[in-house]
Amino acid sequence: MRMAARSLGRGHPTLRAVGVSTPAGAPAATLKADATTGRPAGGGGRRDQLGSLLFLAPAAIWLLAITIYPVVVTFRNSVFDETATSYVGLHNYQVIFSDASILVTFRNNLIWVVIFPFVVTFLGLTFAVLTERIRWSTAFKTIIFMPIVFSATASALIWRTIFDLDPHIGMVNAAVQTASDWVNPPGLYPVDTSAGQTAAAFASTGLSPGASGALQSSSTAAAGDTVQLGLIGVNVGTLQVVGAQTAVPPSPSSGAISGLVYRDFSPSHPTDRGQLFPDTDGLPGMLLTLLRSDGSSAGTATTDQHGDFRFGNVGTGSYRVQLDARNFRSGFTGIFWLGGQSVTPTSHLSQTAQALLSVPLVDLAMIIAYLWMWAGFAMVVIGAGLTSLNRELLEAGRVDGATEAQIFRRITMPLLAPVLVVVLVTMIINVLKIFDVILNMAPGSSQGDASTLALAMFNEGFTGGIHSGLASAIAVILFLLVIPAMVANLRRIRG
Amino acid sequence: MKPRILPLAVIGGLLLAACGTSNAPTSSSQQGGSVSLWAEWSSNEQNAFQGALQPYQTQSGTTVNYSSKGSNIDTVLEAAVAGGAPPDIALIPDPGTLQTLAKQGKITDLTSILGGLSSNYGSAWNTLASYNGKLYGVWFKGANKNTIWYNPAEFAAAGLSSPPTTWEELIQDAGTLKAAGVTPFSLCTDVGWPVADFWQNVYLKTAGAAMYNQLSAHSIKWTDASVTTAFTTMAQLVGTPTNLAGGLQGSLSNPYPACVDKVFPKAGAQPKAAMVFEGDFVSLEITGNSTNYTPGTTGSGGAACTADPAKTPCYSFFDFPAPSADSANKSAIQGAGDVAVMLKDTPQSEALMKYLAGPDGAAIWAHLGGFASPNNKVPTSAYPDPVSKGIAQALVGASSFVFSLDDLQGTWEKNMWQDLLDFLKNPSNVSTIETTMDQQATAGLGH
Repeated sequence: MRMAARSLGRGHPTLRAVGVSTPAGAPAATLKADATTGRPAGGGGRRDQLGSLLFLAPAAIWLLAITIYPVVVTFRNSVFDETATSYVGLHNYQVIFSDASILVTFRNNLIWVVIFPFVVTFLGLTFAVLTERIRWSTAFKTIIFMPIVFSATASALIWRTIFDLDPHIGMVNAAVQTASDWVNPPGLYPVDTSAGQTAAAFASTGLSPGASGALQSSSTAAAGDTVQLGLIGVNVGTLQVVGAQTAVPPSPSSGAISGLVYRDFSPSHPTDRGQLFPDTDGLPGMLLTLLRSDGSSAGTATTDQHGDFRFGNVGTGSYRVQLDARNFRSGFTGIFWLGGQSVTPTSHLSQTAQALLSVPLVDLAMIIAYLWMWAGFAMVVIGAGLTSLNRELLEAGRVDGATEAQIFRRITMPLLAPVLVVVLVTMIINVLKIFDVILNMAPGSSQGDASTLALAMFNEGFTGGIHSGLASAIAVILFLLVIPAMVANLRRIRG
Repeated sequence: MKPRILPLAVIGGLLLAACGTSNAPTSSSQQGGSVSLWAEWSSNEQNAFQGALQPYQTQSGTTVNYSSKGSNIDTVLEAAVAGGAPPDIALIPDPGTLQTLAKQGKITDLTSILGGLSSNYGSAWNTLASYNGKLYGVWFKGANKNTIWYNPAEFAAAGLSSPPTTWEELIQDAGTLKAAGVTPFSLCTDVGWPVADFWQNVYLKTAGAAMYNQLSAHSIKWTDASVTTAFTTMAQLVGTPTNLAGGLQGSLSNPYPACVDKVFPKAGAQPKAAMVFEGDFVSLEITGNSTNYTPGTTGSGGAACTADPAKTPCYSFFDFPAPSADSANKSAIQGAGDVAVMLKDTPQSEALMKYLAGPDGAAIWAHLGGFASPNNKVPTSAYPDPVSKGIAQALVGASSFVFSLDDLQGTWEKNMWQDLLDFLKNPSNVSTIETTMDQQATAGLGH
């Protein structure tokens, strides 16, 4: 079982090379040997054939032992039970196509195959064409190519950090935060949107939710009145930042509405609300608007260090004091790039449909990381194709007055097509077996959403318990999925 | 660090031995010979354990040949037993192995050898070390997963002078903390095992140890009402995102030990939450973050705790609380431990088993830190600080002791973790999750 799994795409580059490329490449090599040594020698007879067989034997035995045998055993185990002792027919395959957690892996494999090979080929082509035209192209190429040298595990861990939820750790969220806070500066008393908090959670005494994220006084006030507004859940750190001082009860003054905005929480009386204690803090810097009964503004004010405010020259009528929404505007708290939430709107669908049609954000984050790893490879292969291009054709096009864009589209691209297809197909095979990036980059809580066939095979076969039948069946399916791409590649190489 | 302390330990051990508090019979002194002993401990722990054995060796003249077998000691031991070359004594972390070996008759019945010494352990412990009513083991070391760690400074900022003692108080205190602008909890749920530990504590405290063991063996179904109760109880806390640092997504991307760091940050950072749940090993992470952290609710010299890790920060824990209606389960503990079993009956190994069952060796290691003994004869003064003392007292006073349920689930352990994460993501989806879990348990355990 272990050997079988290795041969069918554990995802490790060398194992992968051994597992799939070799059986594909080997017949080609054998054919070539026949073509080059066999025929020109003019049929050297039995002894020569025996000689070549002798030389081939070590390789052939090696191949049998580590490739053919595991493949056969995997096929056998896929129709046997977990202990590989009794025949169960297609039961394992039934399980695969009825277990939602395994079905999800087909979706993820599809997402990878649809997006990754094309984007990486496009990127490789772009880099290859551009590096032909710039100075320092070797330096540029080296940098782009460098990630291919890193171990996939290390790269995955680097990208896991880059995409971390906490803007203090994750580079991507740090960048988004900088932009977001510049466009939309957070207020002095931000709500915690990551926990689904709204400003209404702050309302404690004399306050009720107002229009669009603001709070307003529950009762009306007229000139000469005082208002006391208590907020709950104000972050302790915030109090230090704003320099809050002890709350001072407001004194009434004629013709004005004065009041206090305070923290309705006293450490000495943790369960009492609506009272001022010696250790009750005022909330400074709170932006206030005096609202007429029709909702229009009659003036603005800001609270002082003790939380006091005063609206002077208030006319007749009744008013409400509003704590503006911008006080509570949340800072950017981070996007969960490595989460399983879907980027496609599927929430209205049934659970199965949701599972099959959603595109988890973590998939896209991992595809970006994988592009970083493989764009250099695509660039180098396509670049090699470019240098071997017949320059005379390009020259001829230029002489005939074609623009650079036309030359690229009509001459370069068609000539490069065989190379592009090779890159594309290689990458399809590559991502069908994608494994290490997911294991190392997706946090445990997203592994289920991000899992692919190769990872499911590993989990079923090697972690927790040994479900060798199920794991083998997944391996067989993976093998069958890789075959068309492999055949296409072989044709290309031979032709 | 440890090698410098070790001589002290040896001296301390000698002193203890000299004080005559030893329960070890003096008749065994100077019997010479040697005992082979296997345990999982290496490096610092190995030094501490060997320090704990020193008085015995000096007193009896017997050499203890210690061999560290690492975390797979169970497998190694079973292989050695099958191969006919077991050590004289082994300390194993799995009561299941003890049961197996006792069943095979490979370990010695200690009932008559230990005699009165067995009363050094509560019945919960002796039951765990027994097979067919006979005592086969001595729990030398225990670990406590019944611990919720809190930052006393954050509790003080919310006006809470003492930690909660019931589940209801915990929920209420969470509300008070939120009113004070302190996020109550930091959940370590980037992976499944911490949420499993959490859930198992809730189940143990709501359903009790007997049900816990039945569920562990899958002799009651995962769709049982007691399971639902545990889920709904847990949802009271974790089902409200404002109780959690970073909300749900923050919790799902919060790995262990980063979740601990949010409550007990490194110097220069402010705490982001007041409480974090995991086993007693959390204290290592806290003191690793900053050596300023003082165990207990007050700092060194009785100074007030501050949230600022650069000043006098403290750390402490409280026992995972039970709902007041289930107060019978208050002292039930989920944890782990190392049990000493005797594979070869020689006078030397008998003497060493008696020594291990007595308080002297454990007291020496306790003094070195990072150790808790379920032995009720180990003086609480042996523990260097109030936190390790509290952990040990909880172990000694355990009304019942259970092991991690997930570790006993074999093949479907990982599914169980994923299911519990799914519950966290959608706490209202309990019945679907329970059905799934029961199917997986049936498939995984074969019944």
